[in-house]
Amino acid sequence: MNTAELFEQFHKIALNPRAQKDAYLKDGEKVVLVTYYVPEQLIHAMGAIPFHTYGGDLPVNEAKQYFPAFICSVMQTMLELGMRGTFEGCSAIVIPSLCDSLKCIGQNWKYAVPSIPFIPLTYPQNRKPDYGAAFTRAGYERMVRELEAATGLQLDETRLKESIRIYNEHNALMREFSALCAEYPQVTATQRSDVYKSAGFMKKEEHAQLLRELIACMKQEVAQKSSGKRIYISGILADAPEWNRILEDYGLQVVGDDILACSRLYRDDCRMPEDGEDAMDALVRLYCDKDHCSLLYDEKKSRVEFIVQEAKQRKADGVILALTKFCDPEEFDNPMIKDACAEAGLPCVVIEMDRQMQNYEQARTIMETFADMIG
Amino acid sequence: MYTLGIDIGSTTSKCVILEDGKMIRAMSLVTAGTGTNGPAQAYEQVLQSAGLTQADLDYVVATGYGRKTYEAADAQMSELTCHAKGVYFQNPKCRTIIDIGGQDAKVIRLNENGGIADFVMNDKCAAGTGRFLDVMAGLLQMPVSDLQKYALAAKEPVRISSTCTVFAESEVISQLSQNVDMANLVAGICNSVASRTAALAKRAGIRETVCMSGGVAQNHGVLSALSRELDVPVVEVEYAQYMGALGAAIAAYEKVI
Repeated sequence: MNTAELFEQFHKIALNPRAQKDAYLKDGEKVVLVTYYVPEQLIHAMGAIPFHTYGGDLPVNEAKQYFPAFICSVMQTMLELGMRGTFEGCSAIVIPSLCDSLKCIGQNWKYAVPSIPFIPLTYPQNRKPDYGAAFTRAGYERMVRELEAATGLQLDETRLKESIRIYNEHNALMREFSALCAEYPQVTATQRSDVYKSAGFMKKEEHAQLLRELIACMKQEVAQKSSGKRIYISGILADAPEWNRILEDYGLQVVGDDILACSRLYRDDCRMPEDGEDAMDALVRLYCDKDHCSLLYDEKKSRVEFIVQEAKQRKADGVILALTKFCDPEEFDNPMIKDACAEAGLPCVVIEMDRQMQNYEQARTIMETFADMIG
Repeated sequence: MYTLGIDIGSTTSKCVILEDGKMIRAMSLVTAGTGTNGPAQAYEQVLQSAGLTQADLDYVVATGYGRKTYEAADAQMSELTCHAKGVYFQNPKCRTIIDIGGQDAKVIRLNENGGIADFVMNDKCAAGTGRFLDVMAGLLQMPVSDLQKYALAAKEPVRISSTCTVFAESEVISQLSQNVDMANLVAGICNSVASRTAALAKRAGIRETVCMSGGVAQNHGVLSALSRELDVPVVEVEYAQYMGALGAAIAAYEKVI
């Protein structure tokens, strides 16, 4: 396949995760729904497929009976999809307790979607000290026990190391792809987004194989001339098709991101466990050593400087803070990031995102203005 | 050389014809916005007022909510960029623009050259916009232009605490049923718009000179309340309602020179 055909392949998968899920189920696979920072390697080592869900771009009808209007639309649309039967056939859903909104989905999920067991994953606030690691490990062990009950599969300790290796390899490819996008302005915002989105809907080894081919094809191409409007995006997610079209319409090239559903997931590799070393401990450390994320407690807010440095390193002309509506952790960080960008001479704009957005006119006006501003 | 800027807003359509990028030749305003025949009427009126025909125009730029669907324009440009150009043209000392339109509010910070240094827009809520004042004026059975007269005569403005236009309407009805003084009630309404706009302005950062554009700038009740909230003088820019159209005409001139 050539570059265009490979991007088309990613696009099809990104656009229709349900078909992907149904195909896996038809093949007799077990599918487990996961969201941010679930230790997918454990699920992979059990022989199941971790399948990302961050909700979808759809109006909320059914889920309204469980939530007020002013709550995160990622969570609302996750429940909506569950209630509409979109996830039918999945063995379980694992949701970590990373923000106040996610903490309260479980109680509703159990009533609203009884066919798919809800498995909570409780993370500690203080993850760095040994007691934080012990707490994290206890959470992982509980998750595994509940997953074993839900799927009938067993965690295979010997496969866990292999799963860690596969995930590390995939992480490296995702980082390489991100760096290439900064060098190749012809990669559209939609294409870039499709690669990240599809990663959550495929077995990691399958996605890695496609991505390896894509990277090889991209490297054979000549980089086109840049629009001169290189942007770095931060936020929880920014994958709506209309949003990507807006970026393309105004010639905005995404040269890097701190999007949770994109680069943040692939930044850190798990240290390969030595022979005789417990592989789960290595996974625990992977989470406990993570930094630069709005959802992870950090009194020094190192994320702020991290974003400025990344944007500079990628030679971004401006920074977009894609703020998921009603996301408290991101709202807390944004004023600090905006100030730090101003100090570094990086134009920065905040734009509110919502899974239920039907009309993007205001987003279009803001992006058009931002493109004028940095162009 | 004649360039035309048309600002197709949510409630009004405005046109400005600029001569050689320096002199305002004619202006027009029709109180009908996007999706109506307002833009076409404003266009015809401005040509008539300038004594020109379509053939005399060198370039047309459309801005505002209806810019994408206006086919007679040579180019489109965002209303924030146009407002920045228009206000800087009128007042080069301006460093912060507060624009309250029919359906949105925006704050634009300018650099020394008139370029946009930062900007913020309100979310998709009518609170703190011209629409809020329209709703309240309707409720009080007075033209929106009368709000200023009442607001400036107030001794003890009442407090309207609700952020939402619908809830604020209930609050105003409740005040009316208690027979509060009309001037104090109208001043409370103006203060309420000013307080939401000031919060938005503080997010962008206030640098003097602060200018106000948009239709609401003509309501000095809001203007002076905003000045109090921000603790800096806020001046009404001349032809406040035409800044988007003026900026579009300037942008059109810049396209052809």
